[in-house]
Amino acid sequence: MHMKMNPMPWRTELLIFESIGGVLENIYSHHIPQLIAKIEIVFHLFSVNCKTSALQTISGWILICSWFEAVELLLFISIIFAIEMNGGPGNSDLGQLQATMQAIEIACSSIQINVNPSAAEATLLSLRQSPRPYQACQFIIENSQLANARFQAAGAIRDAAIREWSFLSPDEKKSLISFCLSYVMKHASSPDGYVQAKISSVAAQLLKRGWLEFIAAERDGFFSEIQLAIVGNHGRDVQFTGINFLESLVSEFSPSTSTALGLPREFHEQCRTSLEHDYLKKFYCWALEAAQSVTTAIINSDTAVSEARVCSTALRFMLQVLNWDFSNSGRVVKNSIDVYSFVAKEDSNSAYTLVQPGPSWRDVLITSGHIGWLLGLYGVLREKFSCKGYWIDCPLAVSARKVIVQLCSLTGTIFPSDAGHSQGKHLLQLISGIIQWIDPPNVIAKAIECGRSESELLDGCRGLLSIAAVTNPVSFDELLKQIRPFGTLSLLSALMCEVVKDLMIKDLDEEPWSWVARDILLDTWTTLLTETNSPGVKLLLPPEGINAAANLFVLIVESELKAASASEDKEDYFQASVAAMDERLSSYALIARAAIDVTIPFLTGLLSERFARLHQGSVINDPTTTMEELYSLLLITGHVLADEGEGETPLVPMAIETRFPEYVETDKHPVVVLSWSIIKFAEQSLDPNMRAACFSPRLMEAIIWFLARWSSTYLMITGEMQNYRNSVDEVTLLQMQHSRKALLGFSAEYTQGKMLLDIIVRISLTTLISYAGEKDLQALTCYQLLGGVVRRKNICAHLVTLDSWRELAHCFTNERVLFSLNASHQRSLAQTLVLSASGIRDSVEANKYIRDLTSHMTTYLNDICGKKDIKSISQKPDVILVVTCLLERLRGASSASEPRTQKAIYETGFSVMQSILKFIEVYKDESAVIYLLLKLVVDWVEGQIIYLEPHETALVIDFCMHLLQLYSSHNIGKISVSVSSSLLSEANDEKYKDLRALLQLLQKLCTKDMVDVSSATSEEQQTSISQVIYVGVHIVSPLITIDLLKYPKLCYDYFALLSHMLEVYPEMIPKLNHEAFGHISGTLDFGLHHQDEEIVGMCLSSLRALAFYHYKERAGGKDGLGPHATSYKDANGNFQDGILSRFLRSLLQLILFEDYSMDLVGAAADALFPLILSDHGLYQRLGNELVERQPNSIFKARMASALHSLTTSDDLSPSADRSNMRKFRKNLNRFLLDVRGFLRII
Amino acid sequence: MSDEEHQFESKADAGASKTFPQQAGTIRKNGYIVIKNRACKVVEVSTSKTGKHGHAKCHFVAIDIFNGKKLEDIVPSSHNCDVPHVTRTDYQLIDISEDGFVSLLTESGGTKDDLKLPTDDALLTQIKDGFAEGKDLVVTVMSAMGEEQICALKDIGPK
Repeated sequence: MHMKMNPMPWRTELLIFESIGGVLENIYSHHIPQLIAKIEIVFHLFSVNCKTSALQTISGWILICSWFEAVELLLFISIIFAIEMNGGPGNSDLGQLQATMQAIEIACSSIQINVNPSAAEATLLSLRQSPRPYQACQFIIENSQLANARFQAAGAIRDAAIREWSFLSPDEKKSLISFCLSYVMKHASSPDGYVQAKISSVAAQLLKRGWLEFIAAERDGFFSEIQLAIVGNHGRDVQFTGINFLESLVSEFSPSTSTALGLPREFHEQCRTSLEHDYLKKFYCWALEAAQSVTTAIINSDTAVSEARVCSTALRFMLQVLNWDFSNSGRVVKNSIDVYSFVAKEDSNSAYTLVQPGPSWRDVLITSGHIGWLLGLYGVLREKFSCKGYWIDCPLAVSARKVIVQLCSLTGTIFPSDAGHSQGKHLLQLISGIIQWIDPPNVIAKAIECGRSESELLDGCRGLLSIAAVTNPVSFDELLKQIRPFGTLSLLSALMCEVVKDLMIKDLDEEPWSWVARDILLDTWTTLLTETNSPGVKLLLPPEGINAAANLFVLIVESELKAASASEDKEDYFQASVAAMDERLSSYALIARAAIDVTIPFLTGLLSERFARLHQGSVINDPTTTMEELYSLLLITGHVLADEGEGETPLVPMAIETRFPEYVETDKHPVVVLSWSIIKFAEQSLDPNMRAACFSPRLMEAIIWFLARWSSTYLMITGEMQNYRNSVDEVTLLQMQHSRKALLGFSAEYTQGKMLLDIIVRISLTTLISYAGEKDLQALTCYQLLGGVVRRKNICAHLVTLDSWRELAHCFTNERVLFSLNASHQRSLAQTLVLSASGIRDSVEANKYIRDLTSHMTTYLNDICGKKDIKSISQKPDVILVVTCLLERLRGASSASEPRTQKAIYETGFSVMQSILKFIEVYKDESAVIYLLLKLVVDWVEGQIIYLEPHETALVIDFCMHLLQLYSSHNIGKISVSVSSSLLSEANDEKYKDLRALLQLLQKLCTKDMVDVSSATSEEQQTSISQVIYVGVHIVSPLITIDLLKYPKLCYDYFALLSHMLEVYPEMIPKLNHEAFGHISGTLDFGLHHQDEEIVGMCLSSLRALAFYHYKERAGGKDGLGPHATSYKDANGNFQDGILSRFLRSLLQLILFEDYSMDLVGAAADALFPLILSDHGLYQRLGNELVERQPNSIFKARMASALHSLTTSDDLSPSADRSNMRKFRKNLNRFLLDVRGFLRII
Repeated sequence: MSDEEHQFESKADAGASKTFPQQAGTIRKNGYIVIKNRACKVVEVSTSKTGKHGHAKCHFVAIDIFNGKKLEDIVPSSHNCDVPHVTRTDYQLIDISEDGFVSLLTESGGTKDDLKLPTDDALLTQIKDGFAEGKDLVVTVMSAMGEEQICALKDIGPK
């Protein structure tokens, strides 16, 4: 329009610019920067029309000038551009669009060649952030020759549309989506795949954004075109594009892969449900049809054809649909294995998911016969692998195999309830296809050795795993019998044997194929043999399967032994701790238990052979190999015999309880024979000569580990057999009970249990005393073995009567050698010894026992504190060593307090109170000791606080306050320096740990208000905990700097304490002095902008508590937060807002303009509402400001109405009761959805 | 236990000893150790074994507390290591001389004039500025194995 009306000036301007360009070309180019300023002025003088030509001219200049000037020019272009974009809608003529396009193209290409990327990025960003850039973007997408520019434009459409969605008219929304869709269809054969993918994902995202607004007919409108495309009417490329679009659509709708749209989770859920319900099946059928329509072409050609691409994409899409997390599935099938290994499995090679789409999918997946088609297709492909166009790992083959494997996991209500008949049929069909990939195992393994790709075999294994997950062992085995002379279990075992054989000759560092295959197959066994799936006590496997398992186990053990003796030179591999091998070993154990009656005697044989060899060999040759073999065997045996308790008492494994009914005599029971042979062997370590010759620290580790595991399952176990009543007849059950009794009779309390316990204690004492410095071994002894033994009360009762236990206690108090134990082992040993007091029936006796245990600690500590020259002697390394040891021990003892023995532990702690304060003083520069002292107090207070009588509480609190003050006086204002930066950061770490301990101490003191079991009546003069916290906060808060809050744990603890404190004791806030309060509000401000959601949540609840308290007090005519809430003049004479007004401001700022998780909106509403009520005047002012700040009247009106409905809609009344709070939450949610979109871009 | 106490008492006056033997396995992170005749602070301890069925060894990474250099050592964990006797003493700062020495007030009322100002810039300016402002400053002096250095500073002056 402009051009027509006013052609002359336009030409003049162009002439001017061209002449400037001419000047530039002629004059030496470093004048350009100066010229630019002039150009800018010139530019502003003229009307809009010439921008295009100006830009064209400038882009011409860029080609001739140096990079430095190009930078300036680019910046300039981005300025022009920004002006352009802000010109608003309506004045976009062709020239301007072209100019925009050019600017973007220049930016894109300068990013690519890395010329001043920041200016280019600014240009691109201004496009993304400009309001309503749709026309420009569409223009770029349609006209630009530069793929990158099209890509950027598509991204800009997406960003702008998501942001401005609520302002777009329905037609605009639809036209954006159909623009994208028709573009990708039109350019289906474009070589720039990434642009196509981007645009189709933009379409998918926009479609999702509007999903709930569109009526069904509108959605169908979009999809009808897609369907036409996929059916193949417009050629292969369009077909391919159509499927691709569905792929991105489905991944957008699946919550785990969707893109964030700034909307609540509910929205995503609703979209997901709607898509699953209305469209998913249709999509699947379309893809299936597309794949089937090209089958013939593929079958008839030996070279790669475009049809293959369509087919593999369609299959990939089908796989995606099969991976959909169907909502109606209702986890019916076994939750395989325990949670731990399941989590570990997520990233392994062998993850499987169950596919449970429900009955509505039956026609498509089961009865449509498409499995037959798929297997047929793959069968044909296999024959073509030798041809040129296809090979075993070509995309089509890979996706076909994946879909086949995924179909194996199909289960649930999709099958009619006919006792598994139709599922069996389905699986049989699949396995008859899969079998060709894995059978016969030896031939295939050999082929892989000769260079064939292993992926088909691995997929076959995955197929078996999927089938195992949806069947039970018996039907699993039956499956193959229908088409082969042997069962599936035999095949599984044969396959695994091949894999293990291959593993034995391979170098494990290279992660050979057999490594992956072994993991998958082991998972298959685990899935099959997990007991939750078994039909009760009846044999888990059919007899043939038991044989297979037994053979396999023998081979596995053989390979492990071989690895053990071979790995001598490779130190690292087996260095990995027992726990690292746990998962694999527990799978082995499941296999062994499947054939338990064979494997137990087998293990006994192997072990005794090696025991004997060690005895003979100890004189002649190096026993290392034998020791390593024993190490492996002990671990395997431990796993077979017992389960990991993880803090609970594990049950005797079912296989062991039920599979030996014929053994009713204790001495003959195979498990007893095996256990006894190992314990007897372990006992030999007590002999010093034998120990030196045969019992290396590593072997002892295995022995201690075994003893720990064995004793927690078998030692002095009482209790009934697990209930198998339904599954066996009376006679067998009786036999089983006899056999179980015989088994447990070996180590029962009334038989040899006490003797075995004695052996265990003596072996433990030996490892603690005779294996100096072996930390791993001692850790196993302290934590696993002794820690496990004292966990059970009935064992403790025997323990305290044993001479060996008394000897252990005696060594603990008297032997210097035990001072050299690692600190945490000291602690654990002290704890163990104190815990065993629960076995002493008489409580006076028990308390005396504890006093005897701890008196050496308190006496020494008090004694050294009383010395005159304590200041100098305390610094000596040997004194420090003893002091730290004793403090660790006290800590261990403190953490073992139980109601019955609490008295003695209280007295112990009480007697060293003064010494602790003294130590805080003398060790103020010895950070390690200080930390230990603080932790000791924390542990002691934690164990004691709830039992304390009022006068004791007063003493303890007084002591804690004293401690806090002392610590603070030593540390406040102190600056440490060191030449070494790492020592300096260590010092910071230490400070952080100290403070964390102090915060924990305050937290523990707080618990007195929550739980109190002392005999005090509430009327007695209880120390006021709020007073304590008040003092504590005064002392601690100045020590906590913003820098220290950067330690996540400290930050968490601090804000947890703060929010607790503010919520429970808000009345102490007005009493805080100005400095302390200022500090608290400063940290709150810091916390509000923390990146951790939880921290922000805690800050919001602190704010809520503050504001709510103030509001309530004020309503009651009281002072509320008093001076803190009113405005004041600061030291510089500036007027400062009161605290609540400041927070009202910053909270509004946060929720309107900054990034945070939508999950916090509820908490923010809870804080905001009382803040608004407390200072309504300010809120109104802020609201008006917000409205005024909007650039145009539309936004102003929107903003004003949104603010209005925030405080009025849903009958919200200005009082902070529960129902109003709830309403306000809803209002705020709506408010934010309404306005955040446009606020954040302006 | 009583044996132990006597042992300490007899040693109480033998303060001249600069190092003490201590079993390697008991030396922890953040503890002190002597490596190559230098007093160090341990920043990392790891254990390994000599061969698979051999005994444990401790691997120490430590930092010289005076010059900040990193040193490493490997010791069988049942053997003894030397641990330095590190002491820290607080003195009030009374003067800074032109040639970079400080004058400190000892507990007994005498002065100690043989210490140089630290080389660390931050601390140096802090001492100098604080002193110029007339604040009451307490410095902590760390000493071990015959070496001394100012390691911390605290302002105890009136606010």
